Amino acid sequence: MVEDSYDAIVVGAGGDGPVTAWKLAEAGLSVLVLEAGPFHGNEQWPNPHEEPGGEASSSVEDLSGDLLDEQFTTREFEMITNLVFGPADHERGFWFRKFPGDGAILQCAGVGGTTLHYTGCHPRAYPASIDEQGHWPIEYADLLPYYREVEEMCEVTPAPVTAKEELFFRGAEAAGWDLIEDLNVTEPGYRPQPNAIKQPDGKLHVDADYDGDFTYPDVEGDSLALGNIAGNPHPRGAPFEEKAKRASNVSFVPAALRTDNVTVRPNAFVTDVLTETPRGDTPTATGVEFRDTWSGSVERVEAEVVVLAAGAIETPRLWLNADLPANDWVGRGLTIHFGDNVMGLWDPDDLEETIGKPTVDQHEGQDIAARFDYPGVGMLQTVGTAPGIGAILGFGASASGFAFQNDPADAPWDTMGRLAGGDLKRLLSDHRRMLQILVVSDDRPHQRNGVTVAPGVADEHGPIPVVNYEPSEGDRRRRDELARIAADVLREAGASHVHRSDSPPTALHVHSTMRMGKVVDEACEAYDVDRLFVADHSVLANGVGGANPTNTGQALAARTGERIVERHF
Amino acid sequence: MVTSRIDEWVTTTWRSVASTWGLLLEFAGIGPDVDPHTRVTFRAIADAVVPETPALAEELGPEHVAGGLAVDLDEFAITYVDDGFQFGLPHLGPQGNMPIADPIAHVLDTAALTLLERGDNEEEPSLDRALSLLGPDDPSAAKTESAVGPFAKLSRRDRLRAIAILDEFEVEFSPTDHDLLELDAGLVGQLVVGFMEMIYYSEWQGYDDFTEPPSRRNHPNDPDAVQSWRQTGFPGFANGYAALRGYVGTDDGPLGDGDAWTTIDETTGVRIRRESGSFRENDYDTGGYEEPFPVESG
Ligand SMILES: Cc1cc2nc3c(=O)[nH]c(=O)nc-3n(C[C@H](O)[C@H](O)[C@H](O)COP(=O)(O)OP(=O)(O)OC[C@H]3O[C@@H](n4cnc5c(N)ncnc54)[C@H](O)[C@@H]3O)c2cc1C
Repeated sequence: MVEDSYDAIVVGAGGDGPVTAWKLAEAGLSVLVLEAGPFHGNEQWPNPHEEPGGEASSSVEDLSGDLLDEQFTTREFEMITNLVFGPADHERGFWFRKFPGDGAILQCAGVGGTTLHYTGCHPRAYPASIDEQGHWPIEYADLLPYYREVEEMCEVTPAPVTAKEELFFRGAEAAGWDLIEDLNVTEPGYRPQPNAIKQPDGKLHVDADYDGDFTYPDVEGDSLALGNIAGNPHPRGAPFEEKAKRASNVSFVPAALRTDNVTVRPNAFVTDVLTETPRGDTPTATGVEFRDTWSGSVERVEAEVVVLAAGAIETPRLWLNADLPANDWVGRGLTIHFGDNVMGLWDPDDLEETIGKPTVDQHEGQDIAARFDYPGVGMLQTVGTAPGIGAILGFGASASGFAFQNDPADAPWDTMGRLAGGDLKRLLSDHRRMLQILVVSDDRPHQRNGVTVAPGVADEHGPIPVVNYEPSEGDRRRRDELARIAADVLREAGASHVHRSDSPPTALHVHSTMRMGKVVDEACEAYDVDRLFVADHSVLANGVGGANPTNTGQALAARTGERIVERHF
Repeated sequence: MVTSRIDEWVTTTWRSVASTWGLLLEFAGIGPDVDPHTRVTFRAIADAVVPETPALAEELGPEHVAGGLAVDLDEFAITYVDDGFQFGLPHLGPQGNMPIADPIAHVLDTAALTLLERGDNEEEPSLDRALSLLGPDDPSAAKTESAVGPFAKLSRRDRLRAIAILDEFEVEFSPTDHDLLELDAGLVGQLVVGFMEMIYYSEWQGYDDFTEPPSRRNHPNDPDAVQSWRQTGFPGFANGYAALRGYVGTDDGPLGDGDAWTTIDETTGVRIRRESGSFRENDYDTGGYEEPFPVESG
């Protein structure tokens, strides 16, 4: 049951919101978490995409591993359709956002938010991106205790090596890079991903001749089948909290519910932030209004403190649609880790020589388990995908037209551009002998980039977000440098063909649209609205150097939880 | 200049289309059929993006011949884009989804005309080529002739060239005078290339009926059941693999532990070891940091 008032309301149960909710609830506050999307793996909603189900969940007993197994089929197309930002009702399409060009924003709706798609990579920010790039009002050292706490909750450990990671490490080593063994990275080099995924059962070693089932309790921990982008319920049969991938629905949501102070209300789209303004003073947040996405009914709830955690697109959209005070930086400074894809293709004999078998088999192992760090420039990571997601991420879009229209001449890649037609079919016939590297650049916040709302272009929740993103010259040069390094690593690993997508701006990592120091203060409370906090990736003051952002977003959300208690309770 | 021409053209087309009863009935869920022009255009898209490729038979094997049309990729793509985005606007029907297949087909015609106008097509457009895309269940060629637009008459490569032209434009189209919807032309390209590819290469074809609710869909998860899986060698979805090789680390570092399973580099001592170690909580010093590339302010 949703009450009329709480100590705190958290808007959004994505990557970061549940962390703050957990901190507040641990301190004894009553917390309502409102989430626009469905709640998977919860007895209250046995068919979350087909029926409205229950109203809210306040007990860890509601969580069900069996239901998660049923709902997270790992079938890529179905899961993308179920998880991408849109209403729970499967008959209704995605919520529309306008993004420039043929790029896109990939975010999820549902308890867990975009961590339902994420691949569990939890590196820390590059220290220099916080201490030296001039964007942050706090220091890297301030985040360290919170990183440690988050890493413990998420069971962050070095990712396991399967064939595709060995191939990458061999290439990186041959290209002259060093292995990094540190958590706080200041020099370029390669490493295993620090992944928020339980390590695999030792039985699954290639030499152990395992021929049992890959289900719990026969195997515990990760079972090394691809599937993180599609939710990842592995190992099947495991209780909810024993699932290997520690997305926020598995790590922080159960911990929050266990306090008995938290209610999670899914299918609740917040459309307004309520405020009171004493004469001549700054407004104070007093609650929110939300709309039930199944019934369309609207409710209001009051709270002492409101925490926005709707993600770096919807948090500024909500601010703008709620008519909160104007601030030049609301929605501005968007970074998306302006990315690219560089793909290598191998001849079977060469693979036999480097990794001892004629195929890479990117569907085996964790999706993203090896990385290359380059503070000041960004990162690279290997990506295993099933063929559908691989096709759209790697080949379906390009800023430079189709591959047959380009002649890369003496570029480090053999082909560049979008692939379709016979070229695509020929290439994907080698799916098992290819490996993609995702280029993730350290793009910097620019005020022109960000989220606005256009009056008149509205959906059922008000004017839709209109996103602008145009990388700078420096952003492009960082990305080009990373693409060159990726091509070199692939060649050194023996690839016979290298293809670069030249992807259009596509947002998998979305941050810095409500930046600390610009829109919120060092405790992440809004400068212009009292008792209104932000606890999602939008408060990151930059793109944390290009490292995967969730560890930092969650560390900051934990810190914000503590600051809220200190300041207001 | 071309941009505003496209704008104008799309807006006029949309208005004229929207004013017909057929479309209104379709909004209300009563209209049975896909517009013939949309149907032919989507067949032309599927045929360009994932074509039938007899030439691959000799090179790769007979399973690599069939393309998107063989599995009705075009039909599903129409359903998918029409149900794909929702605005919750009541006049768009109970689900509030925005049907966009028809406008997409018209945008592609405009792109085709631009290609022809620039003389960038490599082959002459041909009505017969378009009509040859019709399947056995489609209305006869004679009935369809008038519905064939310039996009469907292009050769496969020229169709892709036309799609590439869309990246140059921002197209806006407005479903009604009240609710302005702006779509980037690039979104059209993304839907007809990127999404088409994702659908085709995913598990989609294996469902008995994808439009059923998730709990009532069946999928055999058999590598033979999906045409594209036969072409990519994807073995289907699995619960796990005994694929662990170990953990990377150096001889004296903290990362890997236990016996070496294989050596990555003898001189640096980087090996794949049996057991996991852990990352080092190192001291760090950023004092010497220099920006590798220039940084603009703001
Ligand atoms: C394919 C993919 C792989 C990724 N892999 C990684 C990775 O390995 N490591 C990493 O660090 N990052 C990864 N990311 C990015 C990571 O998932 C996000 O950066 C992270 O989830 C962002 O957290 P957030 O809390 O800011 O937003 P989100 O996780 O997006 O959460 C926002 C939540 O708010 C809800 N919401 C939005 N608006 C409203 C509203 N008005 N009312 C109520 N609720 C609302 C949303 O439904 C959502 O649940 C990946 C992303 C993608 C797409």
